[in-house]
Amino acid sequence: MTDPQLWISAAELGCFFGLLALSYYVVLAGTGFFNFAVGPYAMVGGLSAAWLVLEHGFELWLAVAIAVVATMALAAVTELAVVRPVQRRSGRSELPALVAVTAVLFAIEQLAGVIFGYTTLPGQELLNIQPITFGTSVILPSDLLLGIVTIVVFGGMALWVRLSRTGRLLRAVGDSRDAAALLGLPVNRIRLVAFVLSGLLAAVAGLLFAPKAGVSSTSGLDWALSGFLALVVGGTATVWAPLIGGLILGALQVFIPFYFGGPSLSYLLLVLAIVFFAFRPQGIFARRVRV
Amino acid sequence: MTMNGSSAPPPVEVAPPPRHRPPWPSGLQANGSLGLGVLAAIGLLVWVGVNGYKQTLLVTAATYALIALGMYIPFVLAGSLSLAYGAYASIGGYAVALISTETRLPLWFGWLIGPVIAAVAAVILGLATRRLSGFYLVAVTLLFSEAFQNYLSNASFTGGNAGLASFRNLDVFGWYPSNEQLIIASAAVVCVVAFLLNRLRLSPWGIVVRSMREVPSAVEAAGTRVPILNLVALAMGAGIGALAGALFTQMSGSIQPDTFTLNLVFLAIFMPIIGGTGTPWGAVLGALIVVELTLNLPSLHTSGTLLVSLGVLLIMLVAPRGVLGYLDTGRKELMRALTPTKGTDG
Repeated sequence: MTDPQLWISAAELGCFFGLLALSYYVVLAGTGFFNFAVGPYAMVGGLSAAWLVLEHGFELWLAVAIAVVATMALAAVTELAVVRPVQRRSGRSELPALVAVTAVLFAIEQLAGVIFGYTTLPGQELLNIQPITFGTSVILPSDLLLGIVTIVVFGGMALWVRLSRTGRLLRAVGDSRDAAALLGLPVNRIRLVAFVLSGLLAAVAGLLFAPKAGVSSTSGLDWALSGFLALVVGGTATVWAPLIGGLILGALQVFIPFYFGGPSLSYLLLVLAIVFFAFRPQGIFARRVRV
Repeated sequence: MTMNGSSAPPPVEVAPPPRHRPPWPSGLQANGSLGLGVLAAIGLLVWVGVNGYKQTLLVTAATYALIALGMYIPFVLAGSLSLAYGAYASIGGYAVALISTETRLPLWFGWLIGPVIAAVAAVILGLATRRLSGFYLVAVTLLFSEAFQNYLSNASFTGGNAGLASFRNLDVFGWYPSNEQLIIASAAVVCVVAFLLNRLRLSPWGIVVRSMREVPSAVEAAGTRVPILNLVALAMGAGIGALAGALFTQMSGSIQPDTFTLNLVFLAIFMPIIGGTGTPWGAVLGALIVVELTLNLPSLHTSGTLLVSLGVLLIMLVAPRGVLGYLDTGRKELMRALTPTKGTDG
């Protein structure tokens, strides 16, 4: 575990998983459920930008802007056209929302396959600088950008949740939707903000991570699982907890296959999930409420 | 007060609840749908005839239907969504394949042992998430599917990525059924499982399970252990899923680690929703519709799955009772229109 190159890979994966987990966290804080469509959102962000540039010759930044806006729109549609009507009809039980989110996940994957094709496209480099080398290790521009953006995003999110009116409302609505509605808080608008923000975060994550190994229409499901695990491992006590969970998961994803061979990773993830779910489902950092 | 057990008050004898007959004639309802199901199955078998392509299609439809039926108890009745059905079906399939190629045991033993192993796996996964929300079960079952497929590809005794093929013929105590007989048997198995699940749904146990989905706290307060009930439902579903895998493997004569894909599992969630969640026959109808749209219509070659997934979203939003639910409403309307009202009877 002394090769710095491995640690760079671990940090890169960790930042990506952390961003995905943060995308989950925003919807979880505002609505109380896990939006599994986060993974497909990230896939759409990365894949649509690459597709616009490679297949249709768009300017890079125009393609990026379209990709981000499209992903945010997708998240808004998830809430407005699927989750909200389904929850309105089914009331309190969670299964309909879970099934709706699963169906959305699958539908986005299929739609992306039909629109963008079934091949893996290389992600677009957003930063055109020389790779930084020290000793035998190299930090690629995409790694650098991912790291910087992750720190900025998490810092911004921590301030937003703590200081802004919308951020505080988000936590109020997530804690108790009924109480928030009773107080006259704009529950529906806050939920929509949470979804759109989650779409933005996922799109950024997908765009920045896509250069690493490319992106295809089936990447979304794995990413959804990784983000979920990162959030469960990290917990939800603070905005930073998803990042910690992401970094732990990233380190495992790099070092376990390195020392124990490729197939061991999926076994270990399963064991990790079972252990965490059975013994510490609230994650490492859990919010304690004094009563 | 002594520590002696004899001085403790005797345990309160709880009288067993009186066995109310449900307000609907359950046997009649279940038998009626069985009749319709068998008629439809016979119709399909006649349509299939000896056409090899159609026979494959029917076996695939029967497999889909069994996987969807496996999901019926945990997902529709008990309200727990598990996505490990690809792995359960693989367990059933590999059990048949391994018994056939590695042992001299009778082949039906493989049909028996697969569902048992799948049920044990389902219980272990369910135990880890038994007090958590359904999202955790979805995640852990997905991870299990990935890990299990990985294991099948890398283990040596499963034949790796190439899988296993060329099995012995199925013998049932010395009787070797022909291919046509096996195809009829596949349709019959689906009908029997759907019929039994329908009876189970209408039984007292089924009613408890359905109440558990709606108000788990009430069922828990009434003295029934909700987590145990959930585990039983998950185990039964996994067993039926493994049966589906055994059927498909036996009929197709080979199995690979990626025979039962995650796409199939997603489609299997959608089948009861499309057909109608009111009865297990809805899952069977949904399976037929999905097979028709994704496999049998060449014009929809790549977009059939997309059509199904968008169609499911639409059904959830505007027609939550599915196709059978609407047919049933139509039937009742028709009956009411045809029956003379009491007033005119005099």
